[in-house]
This record gives sequence, C-alpha cells and structure tokens, in this order.
Amino acid sequence: LFRYLHQLKSAGFHVDELFQKCLFEEDEKEKVLSAIRIVQPNYQLPPPANPQTCKSSLLQDFYSKEKAVSYPKLDFTVQELQERFQQQLEMELGSTVTIESVESAKPLTPQAIKARKLLATLRSQWHSSLLQALQKSKHNMSSLKEVSGYDILYPYLCLLPDEEYVGIMMQILGALSPQGESLVVLARELGSKVYNRYITQRKLRSHQLEKVQEVYEGYIHLLAKDSQPDNYLPREYWEKLVTEAGFGPSLNLKGCNWPYMLVMRLGMHMLELLVQAVKVPRNILNPRLEPRLIPVLYHIYSFRSSWQVGLIKPHPIFSQLVSDAAETLLTFSSSAIPMLCPPVPWTSPNFGAYLLNDTRLMRFVDGVTQHQLLLDQCPLVNLHPVLDALNQLGNCAWKINQPVLDIIISIFNDKGNEKLDIPPPISEAPRPPSAPGNSSTWNKSLKHELLLCKKKTAEMHSLRMDALYKLSIANYVRDKVFWFPHNMDFRGRTYPCPPYFNHLGNDVTRAILLFAEGRPLGPKGLDWLKIHLINLTGLKKKEALQERLEYANEIMEEILDSADHPLTGRKWWMNTDEPWQALACCMEIAKASRSPDPAAYISHFPVHQDGSCNGLQHYAALGRDLIGAVSVNLMPCGVPQDVYSAVAQQVEEFRRKDAEQGVKVAQVLQGFVSRKVVKQTVMTVVYGVTRYGGRLQIEKRLREIDDFPEEYLWEASHYLVKQVFNGIKEMFSATRDIQNWLTESAKLIAQSGRTVEWVTPLGLPIVQPYYRSRSTVLNCGMQHLSVKNSSNSQKPDTVKQKNAFPPNFIHSLDSTHMMLTALHCLRQGLTFVSVHDCYWTHALTVDTMNQICRQQFVALHGEKILQDLSEFMLEKYCSPGRETRAPWQKKLMEQLSDVPKTGEFNLKKVMDSTYFFS
Amino acid sequence: GPGILTRTLLNAGVRVVALESNSAFLPNLQSLENSLDGQLKVIYCDFFRLDPLVTGTVKPPAMCSDKLFETIGVAAVPWRADVPVKVFGILPQRKERNTLWRLLFALYECSSIYRYGRIELNIFISEKEYKVLTAKPGDARAYQALSVLWQVGCEIQLLHKEPWSSFVTNLKNGGLAVPKSTWLPNDHLCLVRLTPQQNLFTGGLKPTNSSTFIFLVKQCLAKPKSRLADKLNSWSLDSSGKLLTELEIPKSAATRNLYPEDYRRLFEALQNSSVFTETWFHDEVLESIRNIN
Repeated sequence: LFRYLHQLKSAGFHVDELFQKCLFEEDEKEKVLSAIRIVQPNYQLPPPANPQTCKSSLLQDFYSKEKAVSYPKLDFTVQELQERFQQQLEMELGSTVTIESVESAKPLTPQAIKARKLLATLRSQWHSSLLQALQKSKHNMSSLKEVSGYDILYPYLCLLPDEEYVGIMMQILGALSPQGESLVVLARELGSKVYNRYITQRKLRSHQLEKVQEVYEGYIHLLAKDSQPDNYLPREYWEKLVTEAGFGPSLNLKGCNWPYMLVMRLGMHMLELLVQAVKVPRNILNPRLEPRLIPVLYHIYSFRSSWQVGLIKPHPIFSQLVSDAAETLLTFSSSAIPMLCPPVPWTSPNFGAYLLNDTRLMRFVDGVTQHQLLLDQCPLVNLHPVLDALNQLGNCAWKINQPVLDIIISIFNDKGNEKLDIPPPISEAPRPPSAPGNSSTWNKSLKHELLLCKKKTAEMHSLRMDALYKLSIANYVRDKVFWFPHNMDFRGRTYPCPPYFNHLGNDVTRAILLFAEGRPLGPKGLDWLKIHLINLTGLKKKEALQERLEYANEIMEEILDSADHPLTGRKWWMNTDEPWQALACCMEIAKASRSPDPAAYISHFPVHQDGSCNGLQHYAALGRDLIGAVSVNLMPCGVPQDVYSAVAQQVEEFRRKDAEQGVKVAQVLQGFVSRKVVKQTVMTVVYGVTRYGGRLQIEKRLREIDDFPEEYLWEASHYLVKQVFNGIKEMFSATRDIQNWLTESAKLIAQSGRTVEWVTPLGLPIVQPYYRSRSTVLNCGMQHLSVKNSSNSQKPDTVKQKNAFPPNFIHSLDSTHMMLTALHCLRQGLTFVSVHDCYWTHALTVDTMNQICRQQFVALHGEKILQDLSEFMLEKYCSPGRETRAPWQKKLMEQLSDVPKTGEFNLKKVMDSTYFFS
Repeated sequence: GPGILTRTLLNAGVRVVALESNSAFLPNLQSLENSLDGQLKVIYCDFFRLDPLVTGTVKPPAMCSDKLFETIGVAAVPWRADVPVKVFGILPQRKERNTLWRLLFALYECSSIYRYGRIELNIFISEKEYKVLTAKPGDARAYQALSVLWQVGCEIQLLHKEPWSSFVTNLKNGGLAVPKSTWLPNDHLCLVRLTPQQNLFTGGLKPTNSSTFIFLVKQCLAKPKSRLADKLNSWSLDSSGKLLTELEIPKSAATRNLYPEDYRRLFEALQNSSVFTETWFHDEVLESIRNIN
C-alpha cells in the first residue's frame, strides 16, 4: 500500500482525486478508504466540490440565484410520487411489459380459442427446445480446447440465466412480422436486448439501484406539492443529494459499452439457434399431410441490383396460426412505455431518464462513438444548460384524452378509416383475384396483380401494427399520469425516448395527449383555443389572428356539433388538415364555452405555436436580410407573410422579363408559376437541396398540372429551379452567402481529413458523424454479414460533411432557440414542450410563451454567432504558431476568417412580430 | 459505330440489319444502306434497351422486340427449330452483368427476342465475365448462379480473344476503360457465341416454371460453401436426404460442388415430388421476380 501511494504521488496524482474522479461499485469506496487509512490514519475524505455554474451570457439570468423562482410543483404528494416510483421500478425490473391490446374488446371466436391452445402448446415446446439448443451450444463452446475465433462468445452467453436468453429469443419470435425481417435487424435486436438485461443486472449487483432509490426518494421532495420549496433545478437538487449521501461519482457505472461487432455476433448466434431449434409439425393445420417437423423460420436471400440481403421469414403455417389466434396481448420492452414517475434528471451524458434502462443523452447511429467521446471530454458545467432543458421537457406530466381515445379505438376496432388516418384491419385488404390451378400456369398479368395485392396487404399490416401499438400503449396508461423522458440527436434536437407513443407522433397520437396539469383559461384562453382550432384546420392561413377568431365564432355551431356528435353529426371536423386534434379542440371549446365562467375553466389542453419556415427564419436573422426577414415574419406585419408566395412572385417577375426577351421556355411557363410549384423547393433550400433535387421536385409539381405540355417538363423545371434559386438569392442575399460560406468551410475542413465540429451558443459540442464506412465481414454459420466498422482512424466522408453542414448548423441553432425558450419558460413557471419548431403550452400562458420565444430569439441572434463559429474553427483547424504552413492550410484559414457580411435588418423588430411563431 | 463490322458482314455476303443507338452515326450508315440493294437495313435502335421495363411510351432508341422483328420481317419459329437470327455486338461494359441477367431471364421465360426462337448471340464480353459463364464446380469465386444458369441455358463457345490494348478507349484520364477485377483474369475482350440449348424445355423445365429454377439456383449459390442438404432442409424441401440419395448427390456436398446439370436434375426431381407444392416457396419466387424486374 505504501508503495502504491508513493507511486500515485510520483505520477503527479493526489489521493483525493481517487475519490473525486474514480467510479466505484458496491463497497469499493469504503474499502479503498480503509486501505488508505492503514497508511495515513488521519486521512479525511476531500470535501465535496462546489457546484459550478454555467457562465453562458444567454443564461446569466437563468442561473443567477438572486432571481431564482422555486421549481414548479407537481400535483402529487411525496407519498403518491413514491408509489409511482415503485410501479415504474417494478416495470423496469421485469424488463418487458405485457399489456392488453385495444383489439381485446372484440369477441373471441371458437377458431381463435383453438388456435390459442395450439400456440400455447407449441410455445412451451419451443421454449424447451431452445433451452436445450442453447445449453448444447454452450457446452460445445466450453469444451473447445484451443482458442478459436468463435468461443469469444462463450462468456457473453453466461452473463444471464439461460432462461433469460430463451425469453429474449421467444420475444423476437413473437414480434416477427409475416413479411419477415432482415438478419441484421434481428441480430442487432437480440444482441442489444441481452446487453440491456446485462446492464440491469449489473446495476442490481453493484447496488447502484439502491443508491438511485435513496436519492430519488429525496429528489421527489423537490417536485411534490406537500414539501418544502427549494431554489433548485432538478439537476442541481439531484447532485446535491448525491453529494450529501456521499455517493459521488459512484452512481455512474463504469463504462461498459459492448463493441457493435460483439452485439452482432451474439445476436447472430441466438438467431441461428432460433432457426435451428424452433419447429412445427407440418400437418398441424392440415391433418391430411404427412406428420413431419419443419422449421418455423427460414432463411432466404433477397437480391438487390448488386448485393444480397439475408432475410428471416416465418413459415406461412406459423403466420396463419398467429392470425387465427388473434392474440390480444402485446409485449413491449419497458422502455417503450412512458414513465409512470418523473424521469431521473440528466446529470451527465451517461446518467438520466429511466431508473434502470440504459439511455444515452445523445442518440447515435450504430457503431459511431465520436459524439459520446466528445461529450465525455466536455467539462460537465458546459452541458448544464442542455441537461436542464432536457429535464424540463421530460418533467412535463401527461394524461390521456379519454373521450377522443375511445372514439379512435371504436373506429380502429370497426373497419378503420384511411381518410382519418386510422389504418383498416387486414380483413379489409383487397382480395387477390381467384387464380386457377397450379401457380406455374399463371400468366404475367395475373402474377403482377397478385404481387400488387401482396404488397398492399404488407403495407396495411405494418401501418395497422404501428397504430395498434400506439393505441394499446395509450389505452394502457389511460387512467395514469405519465412522463416522456427526453434525449437528443447529435445536433441537439430533442426527442421523447419511448418510441411508439409520444407527442411527436401523428395527428392521431397528438389528439389523445393532454397536459396532466390543468390551468384556468384566463381572460384570453378561450380565444386562443379558437385560434388554435382554426390553425389546425389549415383554413385562413393568410388571415390575421383576429379574423381567424371571428371565423371560429361564426362557425361556432359547427364546432359544437362536431364536439357533441362527432360520428353522427355534420362531421365538420373530418374535413380539416388535422382532424383528430381539431375534434379534440372542438370538445375543449364546447366544454369551456358552456362552463359558467370560461375564464375560470380548468384546461389541460396544449395550444401550439409554430415557427413559420423556421430554418429560413434563422438564416434571415443570421444574415439580417431585410426582405427575407419580412417574408418569414421576423418583421411585424398586419397579416402573416408567406415566403412561398413571395418567392413565387419573384420568380414570376423573372419569367415575365425573360418571356419579353423571347425566351421560349419562359413563354411556355406563362400562368404556371404558382406557390405550389415552388413551395417544396423553397422549404428544402434551407436543408441543402441541390439544383438536381430541386429540379426533380419542380418537375413532379409540373407533371401534376394536367395541361402543362409534357415535352417541356425537363426544360421548364430546369429553368424554374434556376429562377427559384435566383429569387431566394435576391430576397435572402446574405443567407445565400452564409450558406455558401458554411459549405465551403466544411469542404476545406473535410478535405484536410478532419470532421466538422462546432459548439452551439449553449455550449453543446457537436461533431458531424459522417465517415467513409469500412465494413468488416462477420463470418457466421448461417450467412456472412457485412457490418459497418467504426474506429477513430476513420476518414470523414467529405461529400456528406460538406453538404450536411449548413442544415446541421441551422438545426443546432433551432434546437438552441428551443432550449433557451424551454429554460426561460421554466423560470416563469410555464408548462412547455416542443416538437422541434412547434412549441406547446397551456392556453393561459400562450402570450407569455410567445414573448419568451421572441426574447430568446433576439438574444440568441444578438450573439456573434458566425464570428464565434469562425474563431472556434480557426482555433481548432488552423493551429497557430506553426512556421510552415501548407497551401491548403492557408486557404482554409482565409476561408474561415472571411465571415460573410450581414444586412440591415433590425433584430429587435422580432419582439413585436405576431406571426413569427403563431 | 462507323460501320466496320457491318461492312465486314456485308462482304461475307449475308443479309445485315444494323441497329444503331447513336444518331450521329446514322447518316453515314443510311447512305451505305441506300447504295446497296436491300442487303442492309439500318434501324435507329439500342439492342440493349429492347423491351424496357418502364411503363409508358417507348421512345427510340429504346424499342419493343415485336416491333423490331416486324420491321426486319422475321417471324417466330418453334424452340426446337434452327436459329432464326444471329446477333453480333459488344456488351456495354458499364452494365455488363445486368445485361447478362436480363438476357438470361428473357431466355428462360422465352420472352423478348427469345419469343422468336433460339436467337444466337455472338457478343464481346469481358474476360472476367466469360470466366464466370464457363466456370466449373470447384472454380472458387468464378462458379456462380450466373454460370449454372447460362450453362444450362446455352451452348457457350469462345470464338476469339482480343487483348484490351487493341481497343481505343475514350476515358477522360487516358487510361483503358477496363473494368477492375480482383479475383479473375481480365486482360481480353472475348467474342463468345451463346446458342440456346435445343432441349432446354424438354424435361420438367418450362418457360412457366423456369423462374422457380432461377430462384432455386440463386438461393443455393448465395453462400456457395453451405451444404445443399442443409439448404433443402431449412426450406423443408427434403427430409432425411432421400431426394439427394436418389440423385446420387453426396449428403455432404456444398452447393458449389454441384454441376449445372445436377441443378437441373434436382429441380426436375423437386418438381415431381409433393414437397414443392409448399405455397410459400412460390410466394418467394413471385417476390423475387418483382425484385429483378
């Protein structure tokens, strides 16, 4: 011990650092402490480090303790939150949740009863044959004397009880669609399920869970209504409790990411076991056939032009049985269900969200590890704003809009409705034409028709299952309050973690979500509900808010009719852009307007405010483009401006001039230049659409116009895309310069062999994860699998690095704006969630949210964003002090220093613009 | 092109139909056509874009084969009859393999040009593709589904080998436009004659079920080292290797060990046995047709 301590010292470390920086499991910390005290009897643990505060100028107010407001309380007692925590914990400990599907309301047929019995028998057989096969394969591996490549798997097959591996395989079998699935996907799923189970086991064994439990018990006092108010943010409070309990970094598990290769190998091994072991008697549905065991899963290749994809498909006998049985139980991984208690606040890139399930702060594409490294290296204090914003979004409590859910389920269980986006059941699929005799005698057109039928049925099946999952989960939590923990992509755009049912979903899922917290409508709330309804219909887009409100009042009778008789009345709601949200809104308006005092009516309804062409808004603000700013509503105006119409007008102007000059194609296009033709291209310009892609978009629009001469399609679309780009250049002159500057800078950086990196104004470090993929061939028994390889020596993909930089940069700005708005809404006690550039809050607080949203936009663009980016990149890519500078380095330096000039627009004007977000 | 091959053929005294896909070469060829007394017919047409898969109007130089055969005045003959038309040409290197597959499907389905009988192809292909077409079991890497299917379908004769250096290529960097090849030799262009087998459809193989045959061969050779018995078992096509014993194929044979004729015998045996009635197999075949077309 003496020698070790000496060595530590001579290497420049202090004993204190052991306790400040190392991760401990179980009682390792106590053991280390007592060991040190043998040598240094008086050694005392270092005092906990003082919490650091983020210094970002955008958040000075937010983090200043003087102005701190107590954290908004949830409508729960400590006791209630404690119970919910227990429920969530039990769910996660079980790793999977089995719930009744919404189809269970249907009556059971005798055929179904029979099929279910059969399936149950088969399943127990499969279970035991899988167990046998697993044990046999493990035995074979363990008895291998020499080190062969394959038995590296052996330890990974011993991490969990055998039964758990079999359970995971059975789960995959149960979820396989009749169309089958590619080997890669199945192997990855199997492998990562084992990994997740293993992580849970480790958390249990290392007593990490007990520590989390203890801290969480204290943590809910911050949120519960019956406890002391505290001037802490969730993250701060959690950190304080961790320090007080003396856990320090021991709450984090030691990094134990399995390499992607290993996950795939493990998955492939389990998949092979499945294919070999699971069999069914061939005559089970047709007793006349000879009784022979045949595999339930078969492996087949699908040939694409130059490569082949291996697929695993279920035998039709199995699919038939499953469909006959019409089982109504669905099994999900526990992380697919919304959380039943407030999420664990994010306190580091590796800790937060679920209690046990492994979740990452930043989502990444398989095999790419660069962001995680970057986050781990980043000083934690720089991540505080991002962590706090994610915690704020995740702490929003939700509940189900039961009347709307019931209507949707009733249609879903009846025949569905494609127009209302409720997928019909497979029984409604088109019948294939009756084919005579042997399939080998079918002619080409019959085969073609059969194929189309099959394709349609497959599409319907996947849509139906998707809706079934969403509705069933919603139905499962119908009487509960629940939470969506959030994480983000590499640009900082935030997403709820549960994959199927969340507020980012389609119209149907959004319509069944309500804030669990209710707020009175206040004096203007009912008006906001009405305006929101008109926004959802897609009508009156060009009218002022006042006119939308008046229109709502005019059609009040229709609104009330929709609310009272949604399926039997005049069905006004069905003919709107977002029918289900419109219906939900009609019902809310009906209830509010009929209450004795609408202003006091307690509403749980989320009201949305959308950014109008948000990408261009950020560009126009970056470049201070005057004309551009007006067209995307950064400038106050009496009515909403429409950038697409403005561009269309500009293009029409160019066309008229050219036509006068005798340009043939300009003359042909007379009367065809419209908002619709240019809209998609304008919208995607921000996201880096090229002339090539833009021309295809416009050609598609022109093709839709019946009397447009076909022979001019190519020439006309070519001409128009040029004019659209010119039009945008004219209106957003600085925007185009900025876009070009970003592209050119990224090109030079990528060409020098580096990836493009930057830091958002909130301090989030970003790296573009595009590399030239190198694949390694995994040699598995069933099939060779080509797996993308990732290592730090990867070379960047120059083209992607270059083309994706402008849109990614803009996305990092829009996510920053959203986070700033979220944090400041929190300080004002607002409920706030977002779907990227669509912000939600209660009707009461729409005005406040709008004000904050504008303030933060002005504050964000008040920063020297491009200047800061230029300085950051110069520092990063053109390391100063080097005597010899290669020509490319000089070129890069010149490029990065040459920040584009900006226009005249006065940013403060945004504060008074009604239609900036509306 | 400029008509060198055309002139050579004309000098040999045969009737020639020249299909020219580049309109720049047309005027010259047409004046040659006019100077002769019906021995030459020039058509603006791309042989490798016959019967395009896209729906809608077919614009020249793409063309439908029935229109082409009507224009040149050749009527369909029975399969077993003599070769009605001989085709000379050079396969475009860029999509050589695609073209070989498309021709193969047409051959087995008796569609497109093969609707008119056993059309003989005399084509220049790269040496590496020639090696594939003529590969024998055991030729690692070269023996593929394409080998089996062409060998069952056609008699393959090598007429001439010409080194790449004899050809002028117009690659921008001045290099030879020779496709890269890692495993197989590729130093020549090979003039190959592909004559469809007269007895192709005399056994159990028919134009209507041939897509199942193609499917079977492709699936088997997707992983050439796998054992045939395992494959058949996993598709529940054979139990206890009875079928293989009857065909005198060893149970341990890998799929790459079977001769093209073995595949044909295997298919015909399966055709006769009851197991082939499994509907899923036909669904897969149907699916595979969609993927190819």
